[in-house]
Amino acid sequence: MPAGTIVAEGLTKVFHTVARPPGVGAALKSLVRPERVPKVAVDGVSLRVDPGELLALLGPNGAGKSTTIKMLCGILTPTGGRVEVNGITPHQDRIANARQIGAVFGQRSQLWRDLTARQSLEVLRDMYGLRPADYRMRIREFNRILELEEFWDGRARQLSLGQRVRCDLAAALLHDPPVVFLDEPTIGMDVVVKEQVREFLRDQVRQRGRTVLLTTHDMTEVAKLAERVALIDHGRVVYDGKTAGLRDLAGVTWEAHVTVETVPAVIDVPGLRLTRSDGPRLSFAPVEGGDLTPRHAVRRLIEYLPVTDIRVQEPDLEDVVRQAFRR
Amino acid sequence: MTTAGGSPRSALLPWRGMRITVITELTQPVRYVTQLTMIVTQLALTYWLWRALYAGVKVSAGLDVTQATSYALLGVLYVQLRFVDRWSNGDTMVQLMFEGTIAYWFVRPVSPRRWYLIRMCGDLGYGVAWGLGAYLACRAAGAIAGPPSLAAGGAALLTLALGLVITYYLQVIVDLMCFWSTVNDNAVVAVQFASTLLSGAFAPLWFFPGWFQRANDFLPFQSTLNTPLSLYVGRLPVSALPGQLAVQAGWGAGLGLFTWWLWRRAAARVTVLGG
Repeated sequence: MPAGTIVAEGLTKVFHTVARPPGVGAALKSLVRPERVPKVAVDGVSLRVDPGELLALLGPNGAGKSTTIKMLCGILTPTGGRVEVNGITPHQDRIANARQIGAVFGQRSQLWRDLTARQSLEVLRDMYGLRPADYRMRIREFNRILELEEFWDGRARQLSLGQRVRCDLAAALLHDPPVVFLDEPTIGMDVVVKEQVREFLRDQVRQRGRTVLLTTHDMTEVAKLAERVALIDHGRVVYDGKTAGLRDLAGVTWEAHVTVETVPAVIDVPGLRLTRSDGPRLSFAPVEGGDLTPRHAVRRLIEYLPVTDIRVQEPDLEDVVRQAFRR
Repeated sequence: MTTAGGSPRSALLPWRGMRITVITELTQPVRYVTQLTMIVTQLALTYWLWRALYAGVKVSAGLDVTQATSYALLGVLYVQLRFVDRWSNGDTMVQLMFEGTIAYWFVRPVSPRRWYLIRMCGDLGYGVAWGLGAYLACRAAGAIAGPPSLAAGGAALLTLALGLVITYYLQVIVDLMCFWSTVNDNAVVAVQFASTLLSGAFAPLWFFPGWFQRANDFLPFQSTLNTPLSLYVGRLPVSALPGQLAVQAGWGAGLGLFTWWLWRRAAARVTVLGG
């Protein structure tokens, strides 16, 4: 298996929690004979990410995204299934795995609170055994986009969220791992820093050829970064394919909004159905199962109606995902 | 396009992580000023207390005033300097577990067990530097007497080293409890109190009733402090060293095996960050 490949087959994780019934008697009984309740967090997830690919793992809270990513990182031991990252089974050989992966977990920082960001990076440099020249080169590379030098002499506890996450990204990639796991890395950030982080990730995938598995709730991020997405719900992958293909799954499609000179008595445009009518303003969507492209739809609308204005609106990715989960 | 992951590496130097404690402590003057104030105050009060207790007595529980005072003052140094307070830095195991940042311990090329040891060695090194300074100051002031012989001093040092190993393992057990429950504050307080009391750090164990001392023989705590201090002040003869070393080695090996097993269990059941 080439470096930078992630493979999961039938990955399953079942957690057991102790049921805590109300009342003192029940609590005492639970202490003596606890009732363990299984909870399936991940239920047979299979996916493959090839070297240099960025896959966005999407899903509502509690869908199993983070648990999946933690099994792929080797933090959690799967209850069932097979996982290989860079040809290594992560939870069985954590040390070898750690040299080959980088990870950022949302707002949880791996910097030491009372050390400056630079000192934290130096501790990690020593931990990974980086040569001073490689370390300097990498910091220069990260600094180009993340602008670390502006704030890295401040203690981690004094950094803003955006500054801390930028340092965490640098910390995760310091040892040049072929695979990077990012669990909601831009959560809570302002738009400017988000864009900076996205640019950094794009650069790392395109220029450095890293494989990135990203979980996020930010659909703009998905639209800008990922060509492929996997939708996970109730621990199962419900969609794995091109980001554009999500629209078919969701049944959400483009809409053509036209303004007509006069409204005809009968509106019948082949391949299109009228979805809204407000005086001279009409909206059309392709008929179910139709294969009309927006370009052809425009031609057909002009052919069949006295059009004075026309506009085609692509659906927002967030709407698409929302709709996909409803289905 | 270059390929990620191709850089050659030099040797791993994780032991340099020991400096985290020193940097953290020395960049916060309020921490070491407070530490210094507490040590000086406690040493002074302990000295005066034991001098007062011995005002009308020459020997008690087999210890004269010099022995008892030296024992008690060394006990103070041990408690003050045994562990660095990591709570305010958000760097205790339970805090890392609670915040979910413990996850990073499992995605680094140093095992959590080894990293924990490195950090504790950093804490110990910092504590020893303080302890040595305070010890030399007390010796210069005449508050702590020297050991009765070079052999006694060496025996005390040797048993102190093994005692620290036992203390380390006891701390590992307490810290690893948070892998099973993140609400272990009470257990931590209870174990710390027990280890301080039963090790002889509050007061020399020779003053406690016979049944207490006999019960304590079955626990590891007195090996951590009472043994080296008793050898240091001459309450235990150097000839008792082999027996004491055997007891300490037994506890050390047993606790070492137990914590090894505990780390394996903890690593297999780590459940953090909501997953």
